[in-house]
Amino acid sequence: MRTSFHLLLLVVLLSGRAYAAEQRQSLDKAPKTDITELLKIQKDVQKLLPKVRPALVAIQTGGGTASGVIISADGLLLTAAHVPNGPGKEMRIVLEDGTVTTAKSLGLDEKTDAALAQLKDRGKPWPFVTLSREVTKAQPGEWCFALGHPGGYDKSRGPVLRVGKIIKQTANSLHSDCVLMGGDSGGPLFNFNGEVIGIHSQIWEGRDQNVHVSMAPFLRSWEAMQKSQVIKTWGIGAGGYLGVATVMNDSLDLEVADVIEGSPALKAGIRAGDVVLSVNGEAMTDQQQFSATVRARAAGDTLKLKLRTHGKEREVSVKLAQKPQEEG
Amino acid sequence: MPADPRPAAPRAVDLGSFGLRQCAFFFFLIPFLLHADPSRPTLPAEERTNGKHTLAAVEKLKPLTIECAARIESLLGRSICTATIVGEDGYVLMKASEVPELHKVRIEFSDGRKAELREVHRETRLDLLLAQAVGITGLRAVSFGGAHSLTFGQWLCSVADAGKETRIGIVSAKFRRIPGEGAAMGIRMDEKAPKAGHGVRIVGIASDSPAEVAGLQKDDVLITIAGEKVSLSSRVHDIVNKRQPGEIIDISYLRKDKEEACRVRLASRSKVLQNWEGEDFANGGVSLRSDNFPDVLQHSIPLHPIDMGGPVATLEGKVVGINIARVDRVTTFALPVEAFWAEAQQWIKADRHPPKAVPAQ
Repeated sequence: MRTSFHLLLLVVLLSGRAYAAEQRQSLDKAPKTDITELLKIQKDVQKLLPKVRPALVAIQTGGGTASGVIISADGLLLTAAHVPNGPGKEMRIVLEDGTVTTAKSLGLDEKTDAALAQLKDRGKPWPFVTLSREVTKAQPGEWCFALGHPGGYDKSRGPVLRVGKIIKQTANSLHSDCVLMGGDSGGPLFNFNGEVIGIHSQIWEGRDQNVHVSMAPFLRSWEAMQKSQVIKTWGIGAGGYLGVATVMNDSLDLEVADVIEGSPALKAGIRAGDVVLSVNGEAMTDQQQFSATVRARAAGDTLKLKLRTHGKEREVSVKLAQKPQEEG
Repeated sequence: MPADPRPAAPRAVDLGSFGLRQCAFFFFLIPFLLHADPSRPTLPAEERTNGKHTLAAVEKLKPLTIECAARIESLLGRSICTATIVGEDGYVLMKASEVPELHKVRIEFSDGRKAELREVHRETRLDLLLAQAVGITGLRAVSFGGAHSLTFGQWLCSVADAGKETRIGIVSAKFRRIPGEGAAMGIRMDEKAPKAGHGVRIVGIASDSPAEVAGLQKDDVLITIAGEKVSLSSRVHDIVNKRQPGEIIDISYLRKDKEEACRVRLASRSKVLQNWEGEDFANGGVSLRSDNFPDVLQHSIPLHPIDMGGPVATLEGKVVGINIARVDRVTTFALPVEAFWAEAQQWIKADRHPPKAVPAQ
C-alpha cells in the first residue's frame, strides 16, 4: 500500500518536471507581445471593473488595515486568515464610497491563509463577484488583475488596480507580478471572466514575488469554514483523496497504474489499466492536471470520471475521502 | 463556537491620525520556501509583465520616450536621477529635490553626449527643476498630450533604469492632490535638556531614515542644526519641519563627548513616520520627497527613485507626465502635464528672451 503511494508521488514529481521543461520550450517560441494585445487586455479589464469593483471592501481591525471581497448577495466575504486571525472576530468594513459596516469572521485555514467572514445584514443584497471553481485553469502566463487598499482605505485615492500575469500555480496558491503591499491582504485577484482566482496573502522583497491564496483551499473547506471552524488539517498538497497511481502509457493516455486498497477509487470500481478521459467533463491530458484537479476538491465531494476500459467508455462517480492519516 | 476569551476586536485605528507609528498594515512576510514548490512550472522572467517579450510591444515607442530622456549622473558617474527633454536647445526638466546641488552633477543624453547643467528655474511647489545642458543643441523634445483624459486601467510606459529601459504599467488610482506634512530626519528626542545644559539627546532613530543614512545614533547629542545652537527638542523640530524634503542640513553632535559632524538630507515626514520600524520593508527604495504635490497621476510602473524626472507616455507615444515620486512598493506619482507644462513654457520663454535692460534715467 505504501509503495503505491510513493509511486504516485514520484510520478507526479517527475511529470511535473517534464511539464516544466515542455512549457519553457513552448514559451521560447511564443510570439512577442504587441500593442494590440496590450490594448485588448486594457479593454477587457476596463469592461470588467464596474462589475467587480463594488465587491471590494477595506477591513479595519485592532491590528491594522486590510482588504476583502464579497462573494454572495447575503454578504459572505473572502479574506486572508491572518486578517481576522481567528473565528468570531468583529471587523470594521468600509465600502468604496465610504459606507461603514461590520463583519464577523467565520472559519479559516491558517496554513493556506484562507478565511471567510459574514457581513452584517443590511436589508438588501450586497454587490458581489463569483469565484472561479476551475482552480487549475489559472496557469503561468495568464493575464490577471488585482484590486485592494494598499496602505489602508483612502477615499480620495480609491481602490488601487494592478494588471499582471500569473507566474506560478501551487497546490494552494498563485504567484503573480501584480505588485502587492501591506493593506492589500485579503483583496481579490481576478481572471478575465471577472471571477476571483486568488486572495492576496504574502509578499517577498522581489517585485515579482506576490502570493495569493488560490481558490483550492476555500473550495475544499467551504462547509467547515462556514461553520466557523479553524482548519488545520490541510497542509500544502493535501486535498480530496481518490487513491490511484497513474502513468502516461505508450499511446500517451493517462492510465491507472495501481488502485490503493480501501480507497474511494477501488470502491467505485476503478481498476489498473483503466484510461482516465475526463473529470467532471474536463478532459484529462496529463498527470499533473489530473492530480491537481483531484486535490482541488474537498473530501466528501463527488467526482464524475469518464474512463475507458478495454476500449469501452464508461462513467463512474467517486466520493472523495480524507487522505488516510498514516500515509500523510 | 471557538473559545476566544478576548472581547471583540477594538475599533480600528483612525487612518487620519498620524502617530509615531501611523498604522499597521496587514501582510505576511514569511520565508518564501513555504510556497516555493520547485516542481511547478514558473513563468520565465522574459514572459512576465515587464519581461522582454512583453516589452517588445512598446519597442517602437523608444524614439518618443527613451530618446527624449537623459540620465543625470554624479561627477563620479553614479546615476542620480532622470531628466525629460523639453527643448531642442538643451532644456530639461527633473525632480528638484533629487538635485539640491546642480553643480555636482552632469547630464548624459541617449546619444552619449555629456554636458554640465545650468539652473534656470527651481519650483519647489511642483518639485520641478528646469535646467539647460550647456552647449547642447539638436535634441529631440518630448511631445506632450493631456493626462486628464487618461482612464483608470489605461496602459502607460515609462523610461526606467536611469533613462535606458522602458517599463509598462497602468493608471492605477484616481488623480488627486497629495497634501504635505513637511520634512523630517527620523529621530525621537529627549525632551529634557542633557546634564551639561545644552544640546538635545537622540533617544530613537527611524529605520532607513535620513538620520540613519547620515550615521546618527541613539544617545548622540545634537549641538548645532544648520548653524544654529540647539537646546530644545521643539526648536530642532521647527528648524527641520519648515525645510523641504531633499534639502541638506549640516549637523554637529556629541558622541561619547567627542564632537562630530554630518550632513542629513531630509525626507517627507509622512514617509519617515510610516516606516518608523521598517514596516514598508519591500519598497525597493523610495523618493525623499513623496508628498506635497498639487495634482498627481498614480501608476503601477515598477520604477526606482533614480527614474524620477523621466517621462510617462501612453501607448501612442504621447507624454502625459513626468515621474515625480516613488512612494512605496505599489505607488509611483507622476505630475500630469496639465500641472506644470503651461508654467514651464513660461520659464523657458523668459530664459530664451530675457527682458532687455532698461537704461537708467
